[in-house]
Amino acid sequence: MEVTPGVDPTSDAEATPTIGAEGTDGDAVTAIAMARAGTVAEPIVVPNAIWAAADPKAYLGGRVPTVAHLAELEVGFDRSDNARWSGALEVIPTTADYVLDLIRVNSLWPLLSGLACCAMEMMSAATSVNDMDRFGMFPFRASPRQADVLIVAGTLTTKMAGPLIRLWEQMPEPKWCVAMGDCTCSGGRYKRSYATIQGIDRLMPVDVYVPGCPPRPEGLIYGMLKLQQLIMDRRGHWRDRVIGPTVPDGV
Amino acid sequence: MTTAPKTQVRSLDDPLLMVDTPATIYDAVPPYPPQTEREAEFYALRGGEMLINLGPQHPSTHGVLRVVLKIDGERVVDLDPVLGYLHRGVEKICENSDWHMVVSHCDPLEYIASMFSELVPVMAAEKLLDVKVPRRADYIRVLACELNRISSHALFIGWLALDLGGLTPILYGFIERDEIVEMLAALTGQKLLFNYMRIGGVNGDLNHEFLSRLGDWMSHAAARIEDSQTLINENEIFVKRTRGLGVIDRETALRMCLSGPPLRATGIPYDVRRAHPYSVYPELEFEIPTREEGDSYARYLLHLDEIKQSIHIIDQVLHKMPDGPIAAKLPRLLRPRPGRAFAAIESPRGQYAVYAMSDGSDQPFRLRIHDPSYFNLQTVGLLTPGHLVADTMAIMASLDPIMGGVDK
Amino acid sequence: MAQRHDTTEIRITAGAVTDVMRTLHDDPDFRFRLLADICGVDTGTTMQVVYHVWSDATPDWLRVIVVDLPRNDPRLPSITFLWKGAEWGEREAYDMFGIIFEGNRDLRRIYMPPDYVSFPLRKDFLLPDDASRSPGMGIRHMEQAASPVGAPVRKARTD
Repeated sequence: MEVTPGVDPTSDAEATPTIGAEGTDGDAVTAIAMARAGTVAEPIVVPNAIWAAADPKAYLGGRVPTVAHLAELEVGFDRSDNARWSGALEVIPTTADYVLDLIRVNSLWPLLSGLACCAMEMMSAATSVNDMDRFGMFPFRASPRQADVLIVAGTLTTKMAGPLIRLWEQMPEPKWCVAMGDCTCSGGRYKRSYATIQGIDRLMPVDVYVPGCPPRPEGLIYGMLKLQQLIMDRRGHWRDRVIGPTVPDGV
Repeated sequence: MTTAPKTQVRSLDDPLLMVDTPATIYDAVPPYPPQTEREAEFYALRGGEMLINLGPQHPSTHGVLRVVLKIDGERVVDLDPVLGYLHRGVEKICENSDWHMVVSHCDPLEYIASMFSELVPVMAAEKLLDVKVPRRADYIRVLACELNRISSHALFIGWLALDLGGLTPILYGFIERDEIVEMLAALTGQKLLFNYMRIGGVNGDLNHEFLSRLGDWMSHAAARIEDSQTLINENEIFVKRTRGLGVIDRETALRMCLSGPPLRATGIPYDVRRAHPYSVYPELEFEIPTREEGDSYARYLLHLDEIKQSIHIIDQVLHKMPDGPIAAKLPRLLRPRPGRAFAAIESPRGQYAVYAMSDGSDQPFRLRIHDPSYFNLQTVGLLTPGHLVADTMAIMASLDPIMGGVDK
Repeated sequence: MAQRHDTTEIRITAGAVTDVMRTLHDDPDFRFRLLADICGVDTGTTMQVVYHVWSDATPDWLRVIVVDLPRNDPRLPSITFLWKGAEWGEREAYDMFGIIFEGNRDLRRIYMPPDYVSFPLRKDFLLPDDASRSPGMGIRHMEQAASPVGAPVRKARTD
């Protein structure tokens, strides 16, 4: 069993070594590239050389996959919500609209989209002590085709963003979105992370923001009641809902 | 970002859209050549087999876990869990923040048992700083942790029943849990992500509201547990669906790096509170419940046993609570000595450990968080093949994963 | 025995991993049957892999550090032949650092999407808004602002 002394910044003998110091053993160890202020270091690309398929024609016929990490969300993308219901009814609000809105308001079925900690408070809001069932929101549908409201509860990571957008697009109109928790409102405590989306309003139109980390169940219920008011106020009108933060630049 | 042709976004509801939707990473079969042997073996289908995607969004409430099942009829032949849908980069954020800030970064990892996920990095920092925690602070920590353990187990019971289709026990579980977290909210100010542990102690002392709620709760805690026991324990459907399901034997449990209730349900009495005592657990009397069978039913019963032990511990702590300060005085700018420290505790899911490396500066050099749910979840791939599709969730629920911890 | 502040540790090189871990696991005097943790470390100049094992014969853990893995090609044998449960630990070390475990049948990314190109926990992977220079890092700015030479330039946040 060989024991070698390693160059270790955490070894007890050294005081406060700086990261990126030259190696103290005889080998030429290059200092790692530290980014200058304002620049970003190049990513390290390690090609996959561990294993190769026996049949090179399998899986795409050997083409290099063009899977892009959220390419569809890059520049050049339409900021408005495309899946809109348009009809003649939106011009003149009638009693039918009012009644329809009343019906929708009192039976908003949420989609089970609990991602992280806020999901616990969403479940707590749905169960006995703070009951959302009295507002008609009891059935948390598992399928997006049957749901009205997408309550995004929990941190949205870049890997989950794709499935979440798919869920949003699979929900039939009329649909609303509630951003629950700080992570979905603006990124929250993960503002500096490399793997989270800084607020879901970068991806989908949000109707109600419920801040908190996590918001109390009463807070979520208040948000849902606000959503109900919002639906009643629209009276069949579907406004142009923009995707993305609507605060003007510089504010 | 990779260099890919920039595609225009089209809504999937657009009726004029008949494009070849580019294959994405969340299709059941990955659109790239298999990178490893195991991937090739898994995604190669024999006759009659099918790949089903138990997608990241599903009615089971553990969080965003995606499992690709290879099924033959109704039987699961193999399964491949895909993680990372909740990976928030906590370890990297911790490396860029202060030692004091680590507490609030680490508490959403095991979000229903935040006291534990906060306690461990604090213990590692205390080891690096050689801080002596006041005895009252230690007792308060144990009290808060055991209360959190009970609420976490109550939720486990609810979720296990929910995954098997029973909608009532989850309501009972949430009533229990709400009462306990209201109590902890009186103590810490928060219902879920408590931010209560500090390096050298805790954040606030016991106050009147907390103690009165605690007294009310203790008076009927045992009776409530008996209630939920009579609701589920002898229920024929529950027993039939969990007994004999997902049996692990001792050797396999050690090889799979299991810890916590799944390990103790196989008969190995490994509990970090007794094997590597920390805080004031050496002064408290409690047993380590174990079971022999190693199936899901045994894991469920073990959680009930643990709730009883936790109530016993809380009782002793309340009787023995000393007076004194609740936190050691530490400077705002903390520079631990360069070194390495490994601290582990017994969380409701198993051995929760942190390996902290310090280089003498005020930021952690490396904060490695070892979450038990991550390693426990590997066992799912071992236990499910051979069972039915519906048993997948039962097995997963009995291993009690929390995706916040699994994905960090 | 309370948890010690100074855990026993041994340092080995990559070539010795298989033998050392097998001895620790199988030898009747050692009986280190429980693997408590496996992780990767980037020390800035080299990479390391750290195992924590426990045996019922000792009161405390043993830390095994595999030192001096080169940063541009860190490879070492996998211990999945002893502990199948280390497979995901090794996958995580690969995903976060790029450390390749030879013998692991399933060494692919576990947290990041499969087409991700960087290794996030390496020391040269900087967060987009490097927290140590940002206004949020209060202590540093207090220290640097005290000396006029080291006062940081405050730039407008553009995110």
